[in-house]
Amino acid sequence: MTAALSELQRQMATALRHPGSLGKHAEWSQFAEEHVSGNQRLSPAEQLEIYREQFWLRHTGSLVEDFPGLGGILGQADWEKLAEQYLREVPPDSYTLRDLGSHLPELIERASWLPHQALCLDMARLELAYIEVFDARDTPPLAPERLASIPEESFGGARLVIAPSVRLLQLRYPVADLRRKLRADSDPAVAIPDESPLQLVVYRRELGLWDMPVGVVAFAFLSGLAAGKPLGAAAEIAANTPEAESELAQQIGAWLGEWTTKGLVCDVLVD
Amino acid sequence: MKPDLGVGVGLRVPHYAAILRERPSVDFFEVISENFMVDGGKPLYHLDRVLEHYPVVQHGVSLGIAGPDEPDRAYLTRLKELTKRTKTPWVSDHFCWSGAGGAHLHDLLPIPYTPEAVRRTVERARMIQDFLELPFALENTSSYLTYRSSTLSEWEFISEIAERADIGLLFDVNNVYVSAYNHGFDAETFIRSVPHSRIWQIHLAGHTNLGKYIIDTHRGSVIDAVLELYRQTIVLTGGVSTLIEWDDEIPELSVLLAEAERARRVRDEALALREGRALPPAVTSVPAPVAASDAAVWRQGGPRESAAGEAIR
Repeated sequence: MTAALSELQRQMATALRHPGSLGKHAEWSQFAEEHVSGNQRLSPAEQLEIYREQFWLRHTGSLVEDFPGLGGILGQADWEKLAEQYLREVPPDSYTLRDLGSHLPELIERASWLPHQALCLDMARLELAYIEVFDARDTPPLAPERLASIPEESFGGARLVIAPSVRLLQLRYPVADLRRKLRADSDPAVAIPDESPLQLVVYRRELGLWDMPVGVVAFAFLSGLAAGKPLGAAAEIAANTPEAESELAQQIGAWLGEWTTKGLVCDVLVD
Repeated sequence: MKPDLGVGVGLRVPHYAAILRERPSVDFFEVISENFMVDGGKPLYHLDRVLEHYPVVQHGVSLGIAGPDEPDRAYLTRLKELTKRTKTPWVSDHFCWSGAGGAHLHDLLPIPYTPEAVRRTVERARMIQDFLELPFALENTSSYLTYRSSTLSEWEFISEIAERADIGLLFDVNNVYVSAYNHGFDAETFIRSVPHSRIWQIHLAGHTNLGKYIIDTHRGSVIDAVLELYRQTIVLTGGVSTLIEWDDEIPELSVLLAEAERARRVRDEALALREGRALPPAVTSVPAPVAASDAAVWRQGGPRESAAGEAIR
């Protein structure tokens, strides 16, 4: 009998994720007739439909809230189409709606019908980064003296620990600025920007969310550190051209100072 | 019986600033556990500030205890971690299921009231209470459908589980009213029939009556008819921690606190009646239904604190 209960629940979960009205669908109407009682005011399919409708309202509403920039690019009709495709193909799998959009960039990569697909992908990745950074683990910022106290001979082998509330994004479009415009401007006709590749650091500072564009060399260096490489190895990866090597040599002290002040670096490990 | 914390309100994001600034007189706050099962940032910062001044009880919405899949150990582990932070006197969730086959529907889906579902829920409730090392309670839900396979009434179902699993009841009086309306049973019979000593906490909330059915939107004031059922409940249980939930069209904090005071007056009257003192007559007016277009998505716990509300600098 437990198998029967489980099977009923599996079928019902499938019914509730059906994108159209259950009353207009013969198979689900039949399912409702078999399992749901109904009453004098509502048929079995109408009772089941209350839950189905709520599933879609709740989840599309949550996506709209979490991805306002994406919605601003697409407009209502395409955004609803994307949200429906997402919820059909990628059922919510987390106990929290906070994670609902975590696979949205992957779907956008496949959704070739989307207008401004590459721009949408960048925006989804940015908005997902904001979600992740918002409630990432707290870490006290590294005291600048700790960085200054690393012995010179140990510097190359030292590892800087990048805070869990930092995300590094390589983007094709200036989506952070676009998102700010979309949110600030009640006029829906905000211009779609031209392609303009950039590297963006999304981070949290004193509980607020920040983003900061950085140059190619700084981004490569920071990415190396975030991957757990020692300072020397991260610098080697970043200094892959003579120009980059020169920039790195001139800027590395300033970068490390700025990143430490802004809380991007939370610890230093010296062997 | 568990400690009577008095009359509290649900902790909701729009009220954080006013609560931390004004520190209003509130007996306790209830938090939606899942909103704080995160690693850091503003949600835990705000929770910690509230914990400095108020008792907090935890209430969950995602356990889905009666679903086809076993309870998620990772979820329970995180839940237990949070209980250590809040020092909640008990942990609660709902008599419901929430998903199947790895899909989470984020809803409180009704259970068929059958002996099989009783057995499954009892077994898991015991396990969860042992795992959390805290008293565990389940809440009766508002429901919008019933199953042909049910062989028990809802009150028989929840009573049997509570007794056999040795857990508490979070008794939602508004949910009794809503489900009684939706399914045509007698709310007073429900209230009389559950084990009163197992009622550790009570929920009160507003709802939205669409005529053909009522949705548990947690919107608006608690209607008089629900307060009357609450009065009857308190007469039977004695003093039980009582909480006002308001999750949609959330008003100013002062309005919510006035609602808590309204509940407190009813509670005081019911306790007086229980002690044999005279009472004023009950008021049981029922508001007219609203248009279906006024229906709202139900969302336990109101808006979660998220990046969506942040100004990015």
